[in-house]
Amino acid sequence: MIEYTPFDNQPDPMLGAELRAALDGPDGAPFLARMLAAVEAEAAETAWDVLGRWAPRGLVAAAAAAALFWVIVRRADPGPQGPVASAPVQMEVSPAQPEATVLTVSLLEGR
Amino acid sequence: MPSGARTGVRRDPGPGGPQQPSSASRIDGVDDAELARRTAAGDGEAFGELVQRHGLPARRVARAILGVGEDADDAVQNGLIAAWRAIGRFDRRRPFRPWLTRIVANAALDLRRRRKVRDAAPISEYVADTRVKPDRAADHALFRERLRDALATLPEKQRIAVVLFDAEGYLHAEIAEVLGVPEGTVRSYVFHARRTLRRALAAFGEDVKEGTP
Repeated sequence: MIEYTPFDNQPDPMLGAELRAALDGPDGAPFLARMLAAVEAEAAETAWDVLGRWAPRGLVAAAAAAALFWVIVRRADPGPQGPVASAPVQMEVSPAQPEATVLTVSLLEGR
Repeated sequence: MPSGARTGVRRDPGPGGPQQPSSASRIDGVDDAELARRTAAGDGEAFGELVQRHGLPARRVARAILGVGEDADDAVQNGLIAAWRAIGRFDRRRPFRPWLTRIVANAALDLRRRRKVRDAAPISEYVADTRVKPDRAADHALFRERLRDALATLPEKQRIAVVLFDAEGYLHAEIAEVLGVPEGTVRSYVFHARRTLRRALAAFGEDVKEGTP
């Protein structure tokens, strides 16, 4: 076997051949066939397959988010505040000068 | 990920073996960069050809990390699928094999972390009891077992470096890229690994001499 130095730039062909032989097996062709089959199976998976796998989880998450949103909205909403006085009533009751919008509404309502 | 890809590849490598594609193939003589481009465009056969060309060297690298067993094959499979998904990001101006090797090596290291396999143990699991004095009839098979045993004693990066340099013909710079260390460190790894292997194999030679009647 040759003497090695840290400055060797060339592979040792004998050692390389022995390493390959030690790490290779007799089953190279079946191994490659298995690898190709695995990649093929991965490639055969369509976008719909992926979506189908994620859909149940997505639906559950969407339902949970909707329920949470509904609860928050219900808590934030104080409910009906009672009947709103019409424009003429507001004009009669309020001591202040009516705003332009109230006058406009009053005209539109024909009162 | 290549869209709609199918690896319509030649499953049976034929009598010439996996590294000698059929001359009838439409992708004979096509270089790796072009095959990578076709793969990214959805040509599964092109990726199949890349697997045929580089699958076994990738397996040797995985075995250098994980030992000769199913774990190594799982790592190669994970690596190949990862490479197929990422093929669009491969820089086609650079060589394909180091890129794939890096992905497979990372898959092997990741698998080992997850399975908590002891460093250097897996290879020796497959080695027969090398304390048994070899006789000449056992010879080469035993020599290879001893070599695997010696490999298993090396620190991981030395092991990968010497396999890539001597067995796979990588340049120091390419190994540095795979391992993420400076080139000078790779030279040191290769030197020390070779020295350890040489000692182990020299001892094997002595054993053989002693066993000779």
